[in-house]
Amino acid sequence: MSGNRGLLSSGLGMVGRNKRYIFWFWLLNLTLAEFGTSAFRKSAHAILDHSLGGERLVHGFDLSVMANLFVRPEFGPMAAMTTPALYFGFLFLLATALFLPGVFQGYASTYRLPREDFFRACGQNLWRFIRLMIVAGIVMGIATGALFGLHGVLERKAAESTNELLLPEVRFVGLFVIFLIMTGFRIWFDLAETDVVLSDQRAVRKSIWAGLRHSFRGLGRLLGSYVVATIVAAIILVGGLWMWMKIVPPESVLGAFLVAQLTLLFLLIPRFWQRGVAVSYWQQRMMVPVVPVRPIEPRPIEPQAVAVAVVPDPAPVVPNPPPTTQGS
Amino acid sequence: MQIRWKMVLLIAALALGLTAIMNRKTATAAPQAAAPAVKTAPSAKNAKDAAPGGVSIPDTTLAINSDKPMSERVVHYEIDAKYDAGKHTVDATEVLTYHNLTGQALDHFPFHLYQNAFQPKATFVRDAKLMGSRDTGYAKWEDKYYGSEEIKSLEVIGQGDLTSQLQYIAPDDGNQDDKTVVDLHVAKPIAPGAYVQFKIAFQTKFPETQARSGWKRDFVLGGQWFPKVGVWWHGAWNCHQYHNTTEFFADFGVYDVKLTVPAYEVVGASGLQVDEKSNPDNTKTVTYHGDDIHDFAWTASPRYKVRESVYQSQMGPIKLRFLMQPAHWSQAERHEKIIRETLDRFEKWYGPYPYKTLTVVDPEPDSAAGGMEYPTFITGDSSWFMPDGFHLVELVVEHEFGHQYWYGMVATNEFEDAWMDEGINSYTEVKVLDSILGKNTSIMNMAGATLGEREAQRGSYISVADRDPMAQKAYDYYNSNSYGGITYGKTASVLLTLEGIIGEDTMAKAMHAYFMKYRFTHPTKEDFLKTIEEVCGKDLRWYFNQAVYGSPVMDYEVLNAESFPVNWYEEKKEQKNDKKGAKDDTVYQSFVALHRKEDFVMPVEVEIKFDNGEKVREHWDGQSRWIRYSYQKKAKVVSAELDPDHTVQIDRNDFNNSFVVEANPKPTYKLSTYWLFVTQWVSQALAWWAV
Repeated sequence: MSGNRGLLSSGLGMVGRNKRYIFWFWLLNLTLAEFGTSAFRKSAHAILDHSLGGERLVHGFDLSVMANLFVRPEFGPMAAMTTPALYFGFLFLLATALFLPGVFQGYASTYRLPREDFFRACGQNLWRFIRLMIVAGIVMGIATGALFGLHGVLERKAAESTNELLLPEVRFVGLFVIFLIMTGFRIWFDLAETDVVLSDQRAVRKSIWAGLRHSFRGLGRLLGSYVVATIVAAIILVGGLWMWMKIVPPESVLGAFLVAQLTLLFLLIPRFWQRGVAVSYWQQRMMVPVVPVRPIEPRPIEPQAVAVAVVPDPAPVVPNPPPTTQGS
Repeated sequence: MQIRWKMVLLIAALALGLTAIMNRKTATAAPQAAAPAVKTAPSAKNAKDAAPGGVSIPDTTLAINSDKPMSERVVHYEIDAKYDAGKHTVDATEVLTYHNLTGQALDHFPFHLYQNAFQPKATFVRDAKLMGSRDTGYAKWEDKYYGSEEIKSLEVIGQGDLTSQLQYIAPDDGNQDDKTVVDLHVAKPIAPGAYVQFKIAFQTKFPETQARSGWKRDFVLGGQWFPKVGVWWHGAWNCHQYHNTTEFFADFGVYDVKLTVPAYEVVGASGLQVDEKSNPDNTKTVTYHGDDIHDFAWTASPRYKVRESVYQSQMGPIKLRFLMQPAHWSQAERHEKIIRETLDRFEKWYGPYPYKTLTVVDPEPDSAAGGMEYPTFITGDSSWFMPDGFHLVELVVEHEFGHQYWYGMVATNEFEDAWMDEGINSYTEVKVLDSILGKNTSIMNMAGATLGEREAQRGSYISVADRDPMAQKAYDYYNSNSYGGITYGKTASVLLTLEGIIGEDTMAKAMHAYFMKYRFTHPTKEDFLKTIEEVCGKDLRWYFNQAVYGSPVMDYEVLNAESFPVNWYEEKKEQKNDKKGAKDDTVYQSFVALHRKEDFVMPVEVEIKFDNGEKVREHWDGQSRWIRYSYQKKAKVVSAELDPDHTVQIDRNDFNNSFVVEANPKPTYKLSTYWLFVTQWVSQALAWWAV
């Protein structure tokens, strides 16, 4: 536990020292989502702005108004709204992959990482990260498929029981187990990503192997730390939604926007915290140690007879005076 | 010798008479809570007009709070059934006494064999594949879907065994593989006014729950499980095949049913339980009696937890019985509360509930048994997780109870006029739930979001508004969505709109009059529509022809609203005056244009607001495609709103029913904030796991 605390506190310390990354990622998230939701906004403006029909959305939130809006042909199909949002979501994913190496470099630095170094790390590691993402995608995809397949079988078995609560219990426990296992996979690839960046490892497979080895070795500490961070994320999400519902008046669009964005901003922290934990672990356990080398003692040099040529003193070198400038 | 026989006959007659009097007293004075074991076997004892052969329909009143029968009793079913919980089968004998009140001799009798619908080539399954289904979609056939109802033997008393005369017919679609209707030609026609008795041995095999009948795990809901004779209606037999979108139609009568089930089962059924006895083979036999009902359903599960109470209705006490799933026990109170409040509204608004019992079943989770109505017996729908702000329990239980009136007592033809039971019931559901749970919160009121039943009904209609008319056979709808949207949603919306036309009080009177006049009968759509016209004293054909018999769609819009100064060419001068702060005496020319976009023609009101606070109301008959109103005032138009009292529920698009001159982006901003949040959160979650 003390080990966890060590990882957690050092990871959180890295996040705290590099708060700007959270802000920039939030801004990126917001900007891309703005693009992703622009079609939705445009359609809604066209129908609602000159109608009294939207009032029930302002004073409270009448789901029937929203449902009626979505079925209007002029609003367009829902796919036209959701697809751009998903595309921009995917862009955010790519952007995260692009900028994450800089974040790792920043977390590992004991000083404020200059912008040039940040982007250099991003550029150097982009292709490595893409390769890592592909491998992680395959491994985690297979694992997810297998786990959810098994979960489905268990659910079907539980559904046959006459105890109605068995199904939700199996579902909940199953999802929790899947979460733990997938978090284990995430730890593996987080360590691999950290190693790729901080070891400047061109051979991604070596980092994947190192990540796997260490995720087994430090599984308890790492999993504990990751679960704590996830719990914090859940608390932030639930707390944010609670504030939104209880504190923000239904008519306050600005209030809703601020609470929503604050929640999303804070929601980024736990994931960056997990990455801080990975960097901290890497520094403690994976970094190749610098072996202290004994300085080579200079051997006494035997004086030897050296032929010395006697040269007369040269004339003193006098620098040229600066050219005089003409004028006033 | 003759004298001796006469003495014997006299003694026998006296004995019968005494027994009849005693039975009658027992029936009428039966205590509510613990009904005695009463033999209500078929006999001439209780009948007023017993046939010479001693066959008749009993006039018992054991199960109703009335001292005389409330319906014209056509049938008497006596069923002795044994349920095999392992095989999900029922082996039974049925004695059906039918009173020929058709006014003509009958030489054939069609019977429904509903459980045969659950066979791969049956019309029900074919319809489900073609039209979609509320329950099973039959993407792949599985053995557990199979159901059957087989007549082992059929004897017509006095005519012998006529099993060989049975012939499957398919009056609706000619499907040779459909066995849901069987026709029997009798050897001798049954004279008008005469009684005939059928003695039927049958076996029913239930499928895993489909269409609110069948088994799930160790639960069973026995609905539509016995051979049931068709209805002689408007000069012909009315006995449709079982379709995916149809329900049922049957005559009123008396039911005496003995159910033998494993001893561990908790049983509930239509009617009043009159006896329960244990058998040596680890089974028990529970006996039920029903008066003035037209169907009989039952359920059994070893795990029901039972809650009972008594409701004092206008006609007497009603025993309320709730069969709850163990995991839903905490919701039993919700079930009872909504039943009590609904009963209160129905009795006040429409008429009394005459039965002595009401059984509310909380069916097996994840079964297709939820949300069904049978006489004095309904199924609700719930789950282990049911927040108080989500009113699914109330919605379903109220709806199914409403069917005790619109189906149970006002027994319309559900095959041909589905809107008259489902739709009228949906209308009263809106009224009752509005009154109990609030107009805009009757379905949901949680986490800041609300949803009302009124708008939900409208929503289901507008998605299929131009597909089908209301007045259409249930199996002729384009698909199950259209059936649902029109029969439930459109009917409710049409009747709510009608309230706006004739007034809420008049509509309430009309509904009360309709119920009281047609309870325990089989009214037609015209009976209903004419009752409304009679009560309100108006010719409403213009409305009924479009809304009930036709499928035109209503969509009115405020096409435009604008103002400009009458002396617009002096605009600069005016602006100059404004800057000086002088009083604005500018006279504006304002226009408001209304447009009827679709074919439904209906008079409407429009309210125009001006920036000096003035409001003007106009009445437009809607006959032309558009109309423009113009005004000259020292004020500019702010907004125009069609149907300002919000009485029209059938307008397909209510966003264009108003026009605000100054754009108000706030609703869009709010909605966008939500959508933005969801998009960002999904993006973050995606990035969380993928990189």
